[in-house]
Amino acid sequence: MELTVIQIILITLVAYLKMTDTVTTQLLAFNTIICGWITGLIVGDATTGLYIGATLQLMSMGVVAVGGSSMPDYPIAAIIATTIAVTTGRGMEAGLAVGLPVAMLGVNLDVIYKIFNGFLMRKEQSLAEAGKFDQMLRVIKISPIFYGLCSALPVFIAIVLGPTVVNQILDFMPAWFTNGLTIAGGLLPAVGLAMLLMYMPFNKYWSFLLVGFVLTAYLGVPVLGVAMVGLAAAYEVYKSKINVAVEGTVVGGLEDE
Amino acid sequence: MSKEKVLTKKDLRKAAARWLIGISTFNYETQLAPSVVYSVYPCLKKMYSNEEDLKKSVLNQMKYYNTMPWVSPFVIGAALGIEDEGGIDSLDAVQDFKVGLMGPLAGIGDTIGWAMIPTIFGSIAASMGMEGNPLGIFLWLAFTLAFLIIRILGYEIGYNQGVKLITQFGDKITVFTEACSVLGLTVVGALVASVVKLNTGLTFTNGDVVMEVQGLIDGVMPSLLPVVALAVIYYFMSKKKVKMTWMILFIIIASMIGAATGILA
Repeated sequence: MELTVIQIILITLVAYLKMTDTVTTQLLAFNTIICGWITGLIVGDATTGLYIGATLQLMSMGVVAVGGSSMPDYPIAAIIATTIAVTTGRGMEAGLAVGLPVAMLGVNLDVIYKIFNGFLMRKEQSLAEAGKFDQMLRVIKISPIFYGLCSALPVFIAIVLGPTVVNQILDFMPAWFTNGLTIAGGLLPAVGLAMLLMYMPFNKYWSFLLVGFVLTAYLGVPVLGVAMVGLAAAYEVYKSKINVAVEGTVVGGLEDE
Repeated sequence: MSKEKVLTKKDLRKAAARWLIGISTFNYETQLAPSVVYSVYPCLKKMYSNEEDLKKSVLNQMKYYNTMPWVSPFVIGAALGIEDEGGIDSLDAVQDFKVGLMGPLAGIGDTIGWAMIPTIFGSIAASMGMEGNPLGIFLWLAFTLAFLIIRILGYEIGYNQGVKLITQFGDKITVFTEACSVLGLTVVGALVASVVKLNTGLTFTNGDVVMEVQGLIDGVMPSLLPVVALAVIYYFMSKKKVKMTWMILFIIIASMIGAATGILA
């Protein structure tokens, strides 16, 4: 199918709003799945969008931008992959083959934008030194307005050029390439999980990892159910430690004698 | 040199709403400082009638600052409390306070806010999404909306409780982070089994019978290969300090080789 002009505008707008939210209100930050789903709704196949969004959500897990570092723009991968998959009718593999490289390249735009912010910041400083505060505030307000372009531009280019170019590329692509990409899609979540284990006190609480694993691998409990068990365990740990931390040595001094 | 406090709840709410300019101003020199200035400017303007003092204060807030945006309201709120009480003489204290707290709080904020929450809610939303159910997305959104209230109230809490709260809470927050880690680790355990997918396509012939290696592996333990894969990746990343980007690239190449040779399926 061909995208209509309105669909192209809407999809680009989703990318713009996604990025703007991620750097300002952050209600949907790191929410890759919703981008796939909404794009799916726009192109008329919500189920595919949801599936691709979910796949990329899992691939991006644990891959977080902390302290101002840049990360691959997985949400735009979901937007592009969904659009390509539906318009070419060649499935998720075709979508990912275009969406992932664009998301990786998207990091560079983020870095460029932060350098651009540096120029703005120097302008703001000189305005503040001159006592022109209202002008300074106006310059600060530029940053959130154009940040969204870091996502909107690559998405626009990819979905306009995408379908025709993609079909040509995909015809050349050998099976091991697309199959390899699918296998990598299954393996990549492990990178995020490894990152998470590095953040967390794995050596101290590895036993809970085992609990979660057994619940799912052997008993097939869904993630939400496991999260509830985890919450119960977390509460018990909190309860038993909080008194020690707050009361210090006083705890245990209330024997009934 | 303490003076009359002038900021009201309304001023702080306004500053909190203006903080939603968020990380959009991030730059490599002063990081989030422009966002701080944008957020607190109306408050500073109310505090200082003298143009020179206001300028000094604005330039002071324009110094290097970076922490996780969701915990920042407590820090900036408390910093406003210090400045509202101490006035122009407290500028150094304000900056020292901000710098002293931003590191530890960023560590906690990043771990819980950016690593754990997206993992837990993202994997729930994704596992529901795989089955065609979009409701998990709204569960996540409901959480971030609820947290938005805390982000808005953070300024008032920080301003009223000030330094006292944050130092007192310091002990509790380590325990809180630890408890969150327990939840996180339990979920990660489930994710190893449900999210990481790795199968081998190898077969061997035993007499007339073609045996599938995958079937034998499944007989030992479910999800054995994903567990091994995670252990290997964790080893390289934590012990050998392999960078994430290289790890991802290496996995993609290895997967393609595996697909070409039929070892992986």
